[in-house]
Parts: sequence; C-alpha cells; structure tokens
Amino acid sequence: MKLNRRHFMTGVAAAAILPLARPAFAQDKGLIAIITPSHDNPFFKAEAVGAEARAIELGYETIIMVHDDDPNKQSELFDSAIARGANAIILDNAGADATVAAVQRAKDAGIPSFLIDREIKESGIAVSQIVSNNYQGAQLGAEEFVRLMGEAGNYVELVGREADTNAGIRSSGYHDIIDQYPYLVMAAQQSANWSQTEGYEKMETILQANPDIKGVICGNDTMAMGAWAALEAAGRTDVIVVGFDGSNDVRDSILAGGIKATVLQPAYRQAQIAVEQADAYLTDGSTGQDEKQLMDCVLINADNAANLETFALSS
Amino acid sequence: MRDLFTPLAILSCMALPLAGCKIVKNPDPNDASVQAAEMTDEARMAAYADEIWTDKVLPTVSQNAVSLTDLHAQIDAEGLDAAGAAHGLRPEGEANPWNFAANGEGTIVEANTESRAAKLMVDVDADGAADLTLQLGPVIRGTALRDAMPFIVFTDFRDQIEFAKLARALNDLANAGLSVPEGDLVGRTVTFEGVYTLRNKSDAIELVPTTLQVQ
Repeated sequence: MKLNRRHFMTGVAAAAILPLARPAFAQDKGLIAIITPSHDNPFFKAEAVGAEARAIELGYETIIMVHDDDPNKQSELFDSAIARGANAIILDNAGADATVAAVQRAKDAGIPSFLIDREIKESGIAVSQIVSNNYQGAQLGAEEFVRLMGEAGNYVELVGREADTNAGIRSSGYHDIIDQYPYLVMAAQQSANWSQTEGYEKMETILQANPDIKGVICGNDTMAMGAWAALEAAGRTDVIVVGFDGSNDVRDSILAGGIKATVLQPAYRQAQIAVEQADAYLTDGSTGQDEKQLMDCVLINADNAANLETFALSS
Repeated sequence: MRDLFTPLAILSCMALPLAGCKIVKNPDPNDASVQAAEMTDEARMAAYADEIWTDKVLPTVSQNAVSLTDLHAQIDAEGLDAAGAAHGLRPEGEANPWNFAANGEGTIVEANTESRAAKLMVDVDADGAADLTLQLGPVIRGTALRDAMPFIVFTDFRDQIEFAKLARALNDLANAGLSVPEGDLVGRTVTFEGVYTLRNKSDAIELVPTTLQVQ
C-alpha cells in the first residue's frame, strides 16, 4: 500500500513536471505556413518574425514564404502549403480580389487561413481577418499633418499600390480630414506603389513642377523615406513629411529631426494574434471572435518615437 | 449590408408578372440591390446611415446613456474595464476601446465655433475647469458613433473603405442634427447626450453629441 502510494505520488510529480518539459518535444502540433509580401519592407518582416515566434512557442513548425505582391506567385505558394500538408496559413495577401480564389482553395483542402494587415473582398472564406484600423490611423496622421501645416499650404500625397485596399482606405482617411480645411491645397497626388525607390523618383519629379510645396503625406513609411531622401537631396528639409506604419527607419528619422510623424500599426502583435487564433481554431474549432477584426493604430511623433521598436510601442 | 437588400430583391422579383411564355431575367431598375450596386460607397453608406439614424442609432444612444459624472466616478473607483463591462459598448476583438453613451449638463468654459472642427469645452463638476469636449464638427474625430452600435458588425461590410464611409456618414448626421446659438457661449449652460470612445481612463473625453441644448 505504501509502495503504491509512493508510485502514485511519483506519477503526480512527473505529471507536474511534464508541462515544463514540453518544449523539448514540441513541434508536434503541425505546420503553420506564414506567407507575406517581400521582407525588403521591414513591416512584413516584423509580421513574419512575430508569427513565427508565437507559432514556435505554441508548439508548431513553421514555413515562411514571400509572394512579392504577385498573385500568381501567391497562388503557387498556396499550392505548396497545401502539398506540404500545412495545418493553417497566416497570410498578408497579394490583392483583395485576386486572393479570394487561393484562400478558397486552401479552405476546400481543409486548411484554414488567418489574414493579417490586408483584407479580402469576401467574408466567410478565411477564418479571421485581423487588420489595422487604417481609417482611424490615417485620420490620426492627417490631424497631425494639418496641425504641422498650420491648416494651410500646398501639399503632395503619395499613395500606395492601387490594387491594395489599404492604399484606398488611408487616402480616404487622410482626405476626410484634410479636405475640410479649405486652405490646404493638394498640388499633386501620385502612386509610388509602396516603394522607396519610386517614392524618391516621384518626389523628385513633383518637386521640380511644384517647388512651392510645404508638406508631403504618404501612404506608408517606405515611400516617406524615399520622399524625404529626395527632399534632402534637393535641400528642401523644410518640407513636412508624414508617413504610415511606424518603422524603425522613420522612427530614427523623426528622432533626428527629419520626417515629422508616422502612424504605428501594431504589426508584430497582430501577427501573433493571428497565430493564437489559428491555435484556438485548430484546438477548439473556434477562435471565439468575429471573422473581421480591427486593431487601432497609434500616432508616433517626436514625443513617443523613442519608445518604438520593431512595430511595437513600449510604455 | 447586402443582406439587408435581399428581402427587397425577393419581394420585387415576386411582384414580376408570371403570365408570359418565358421568364427572361432583366435587371429591374427598381430593384434595391441593383440601385445599391450602382451607387458609390459614400452614397450607399449615407443612405444606410439615413435609414438607421432615427429608428436605431438614436434609440441605442438614449437607451444606453448613463450620467457622465456617475460613469466617471465608477471608472475612477472600479477601473475602465469594470465600468466598460457594465455600461460600455464595443466590438469584439483584442484592443478594441470602450465606447460609452452618456448624458449630462454643464457650463461652457471655452467655445471654438470658428474652426471646421468646432467644439465646446464643458465643466460638469463646477470647478471651473473643462471636463469634456463636445465635438460639434463638421470635422468630427473618431468612429465612436459607429463602433458603439451593437448591430453594426464589420464582417457584414465589404471592406474598411465601406465601413469607414459609414462612420463618416453617421458623424455627418450628428453634425447636421445640432444647432448651436450664435454669440458668446462661454458661461452658458449646455445639456447634452452622445457617445465617445475612451481608450485609457485618463484620456480626454471627446463626446459626439446626438442631442445638445444651450440654455
């Protein structure tokens, strides 16, 4: 009897230790495929890193792939994720319309998709669509821009890639604020396709035709970095530049007195939440949340830029 | 949103005469969904906002409205989340801030009616300092009116653009419904009811009034 009890207690002790020992033989919950645009933009890299870290913590293997904003390439990546037998897909997609078919194909193959950052134009196909509240964020950026501009002057808008819903929503958020100030006049509006190089080139050309501009508002931080480089090269560091994303590059520029403000999207946390919801869905069959979820953005300027690191703000 | 039009679409299809030899599907120009599809996001959301404003939005605000001073006493005592769980309105999801419907009365200590973002600063506890801002517009910050409505769910909308246009349309209706007397408002008493978003308990209150009266 005593012996039995001792054996029993040993068993209890072993069971108590078990959770601690689990990471040693983790990687048994399956495979999560993480698909994003190119990591050239640190925003997408932060998403992939955030998702991967959380997936490994939760006991999954991961495979990280990039679609370079090419829907055909994205479609191939979905095929390979399906072929590899992925249990779930975390996706920052390559186009609101073009992605619907790929996500549907994964669903038909029994693989749930969890979307981050960008929406698709259908609901009921992905399990979750967790996106930054781009409209709220754009309004924050626009309010700061209006304040910096003193409610008057000529300005330029660099918008993102047109196939991307986020390009339209940010522009719409900017204009819902800015257009209500009659002394703010838009001198030029062009797409620089989210790209730093294009941001530089477009800014250079616009500046030649409109030397009297006072500010530039950009749909993301990489275009803002391009525009700022062009303004610096032209000796126009008096021009007010505002971006969107909250990258470390723009943080450093703000702290050095260059770009004036940006809007932080909590990209790192957002990717982690997507993985947590994937885990909940795979474990319990439900995420417990609505499919489409918005996460609020935060204004970053000289006051709080120092607290920003890899798309997360410490308090 | 589209679901709203489905019953209308079915009704108008049923109304079509079935007497002919062959039923040829022609889009009915009076079909609400056809009309809706031809509208811009902005016009469609303005129409939807108009449709829900009197019947659903205003009653939701009135039914959920609590006294602003009582609410903030509770927030100070029990914390934002406890007060939010008791009186707040918010969509599901991590990091969604609480929205509150509240009413009250106070003294106008500062008024800016020149700006496009016109506002009144109001003292509700008679200490001479402003306790909240009433956003008069036409530039109204935030999406509190939309996000406080339990029947408005993001998943039902095509994308953020459509959803954003709805927030703007509701803010425009709030602005259109207000009338503020001319002249110096400082020192006068104002009664109000409306909604606001509160992310942190120490944040400034920027209430969007749905009713407002300056005495």
